[in-house]
Amino acid sequence: MKIAYRHLADNIKSSVSIDEMSEKLFQLGHEHEISDGIFDMEFTPNRGDCLSVDGLLRDLSVFYATTIDDKDTYKPLINPLSINFSNNCQVDCPYISFLKIEIADNTLDYQGCLQNYFKDLKINKNNFFTDISNYISYETGQPTHCYDASKLDNKFSLEQLDGNFSFETLLGKSIELTGKNLVFVQGEEIINLAGVVGGKSTSCDKNTKTVIVECAYFNPEAIIGKSVKYGIQSESAHKFERNVDPTCHDKVLRRFLALVDSHANIKNIELFTNKSNEFNATSIELNVNTINRIIGSDITEDSYKNYLSRLGFTFSNKEILVPSYRSDIITQNDLAEEIARSIGYDNIPVKNFNILSRISECNEVKANKIKSFLVDNGFFEVINSPFIANGGDSSIKVDNPLDSNREFLRVNLRDSLIGNLLYNERRQKDSIKLFEISDVYSSSQIANKKRVLGVIASGRVGKNYKEFSKKISNDYLKNLFKVLDSEMSFNFENILRENLDTKLKTSISYLEVDLDDFSIDINNYKELSSPPLNYIKYKPISEYPSSVRDISFSITNPSNFKQLEESILNFEHELLKDVHIFDFYKNQKMLEIKIGFRFIFQSSKSTITESEVNKVVSNIMSIALEIETVSIPGLL
Amino acid sequence: MSTFDDIDSPKLAEDFGAYHPINHMKDSIMNLLVSLGFEIVNGPEIESEEFNFDMLNIKKSHPARQMHDTFYVNNKTNVLRTHTSPVQIRGMLEKKPPLAFISGGKVFRKDDDSTHLPMFHQVEGIYVDEGVSFSNLKDLIFRIIHSLFGDDVQLRFRPSYFPFTEPSAEVDILSKDGKWLEILGCGIVNPVVLENCKIDSTKFSGFAFGLGVERIAMLKYGVNDIREFYKSNLDFLNQFK
Repeated sequence: MKIAYRHLADNIKSSVSIDEMSEKLFQLGHEHEISDGIFDMEFTPNRGDCLSVDGLLRDLSVFYATTIDDKDTYKPLINPLSINFSNNCQVDCPYISFLKIEIADNTLDYQGCLQNYFKDLKINKNNFFTDISNYISYETGQPTHCYDASKLDNKFSLEQLDGNFSFETLLGKSIELTGKNLVFVQGEEIINLAGVVGGKSTSCDKNTKTVIVECAYFNPEAIIGKSVKYGIQSESAHKFERNVDPTCHDKVLRRFLALVDSHANIKNIELFTNKSNEFNATSIELNVNTINRIIGSDITEDSYKNYLSRLGFTFSNKEILVPSYRSDIITQNDLAEEIARSIGYDNIPVKNFNILSRISECNEVKANKIKSFLVDNGFFEVINSPFIANGGDSSIKVDNPLDSNREFLRVNLRDSLIGNLLYNERRQKDSIKLFEISDVYSSSQIANKKRVLGVIASGRVGKNYKEFSKKISNDYLKNLFKVLDSEMSFNFENILRENLDTKLKTSISYLEVDLDDFSIDINNYKELSSPPLNYIKYKPISEYPSSVRDISFSITNPSNFKQLEESILNFEHELLKDVHIFDFYKNQKMLEIKIGFRFIFQSSKSTITESEVNKVVSNIMSIALEIETVSIPGLL
Repeated sequence: MSTFDDIDSPKLAEDFGAYHPINHMKDSIMNLLVSLGFEIVNGPEIESEEFNFDMLNIKKSHPARQMHDTFYVNNKTNVLRTHTSPVQIRGMLEKKPPLAFISGGKVFRKDDDSTHLPMFHQVEGIYVDEGVSFSNLKDLIFRIIHSLFGDDVQLRFRPSYFPFTEPSAEVDILSKDGKWLEILGCGIVNPVVLENCKIDSTKFSGFAFGLGVERIAMLKYGVNDIREFYKSNLDFLNQFK
């Protein structure tokens, strides 16, 4: 909700800068952004009472004296209005008033606060009565609805209708109402979707001279979800859903009248009120010790009462009476929050505490051992979304999916991991080793989750010269996994590529096992690597293709070998992404060492060109060839 | 002078894989809390409305319970947990205070844009004993934030609203470019929740806190787009060794 700084500052008796006010609003828990002197407020859902200038001023009263009670209201007695209205939903609407105002003429040339409202918030004017209604909602937080009295018969009612009905909003949008809806009905026609939006047939326009202003308290439960259901942006629904002040009608309508009075000649005023019960203020025991215990503070009772008084609370003997607009205050903990934010959360003392330590029964030991083993052997952990398009009969269906591609929950990790493998193959990766550990559920065992490990691998065993030419196979993986658990048989399967979106031929090995199937043996596994202690600064990934070059060097003087190895491995260039030794061979007979390096080039800005790669390669080669007895076989 | 026999084979380049950065971050936070005495509890990702909402004082009229925020499954008989709090409810029903639990894992909300994903990770904790106050909660929060972001980081507590805590707070840290960034939510456990778990709220009080793992990971690693974590791109994962 947007509230102008000026509209708050004008009602504070002292001078408060926008920065100071912003800081105080944060202290009170009212998050916001500021732009051109306007606070764009984001209120928590329990603070419906703050959705107005007056509401925020009531909160700011903790710090400042305000003029909130000094506003001009219409004081004279008002004659009763005789209308044939039936409130057939007294539980959903216990308090409702109708104010009939007849004026001689109207204007859109607004003065004072009304003028400032439209100017400062850059709001378009509509018609006289609707404009005042909108302003009143902004100032007081109480939505009102204006009917053109000439379009309203004398007989109408408030009903809870159940079924399908057509309704046209005052903005001309046709809606099909379904299910239960609280509506105002005239004859057979719905003239107002209560608390959300009025109807076209009885709405005011620029010619309206006699208006009937509806001022009501609707139970939040009767309004909640309606604006979302019917796709209507409704500020009044937003307020009713968060609760409005049930006792404010007289004050609000007299304020409405004062604004009409200052802009038009009033010919007649009449008022109808309907109350199904008297409002009873919430009362809570006055006990400062409880408050200090909750917060950990040490405030006196006087100071406690002083804070609460400024927030509009009153006292009766040892009871605290909660103001009618604070429906969120029910318990001692609610009061503690009022005091905590008045003091300022940041000013509450910090008190050291210690938990009497228990031995943590970590049930993740098994998963952690498996993870360590896989990471030690070059596998990367992935996490996938559980939502899939169709998981077969045993898959759990999401009742309200994001879309049809995410309508079911996966019953295994296979398809997710195949997707991950193909994704990386498309990015020119020739050694892919991935795993995921996740809970999976099926419709037959909702309460019995299964925690499974999925492993997928394809391509080279590794990039080092000892593994470079070896290809991942089921047998290779089976042997590898024996180190982790010699008791268990790891049945890796081949995933056929025929049905996959890929042209590659390398075999894909896949394993999925229940974590419960691992034997206790895995606890003996000794980790080689450890999780990183420091947090790296991530470098954005290039989306451009990479280019690979292999260069083999021959060297006959063993003394120069280390120099060659180090000068190549330490070579740095912004286009060189990776270098590793893929081949190494000592030819004892010929007294020659052969060493092959694989260079991977990639640009972060564009697809790398042949000539860019050649330049770097020639640089590398000249560095190497400067070393005595180094040659590149085949190079002329 | 080296001879052929002296030549060592080149050192094998380190060829380890990597833990997923989100799981690594989650585990780091949980290890820190375990070192402070918290006990790890686990629970299911498919929950009943009773545990996910009712027991936590989230009333039927709360916006979170509408179909547009929560995933319902199995003909609306269950939900995908929207937070890890129900795990703590289960823990409180099982054991008697004093108790100190943490739970971490996947949670689900019906959101999908550049800053929100339908699945993300949380770590939550609860501590219940006699005389636990907001002052104690502040002590723990300082310890968590200082451990994650260093002792010099500036932080502020803002009043907020969660149905299961009262008073409630959100905690922000001041970033290097002068912006306040929300890091976690916390508060004093609402006595209604304690009573729901058969804990005498006149004798015991507690605090609870929850962190979004992705948010912390994005800040710590400098990842700007949350979706990067879940592309399973080896160029991305390879950086988190």
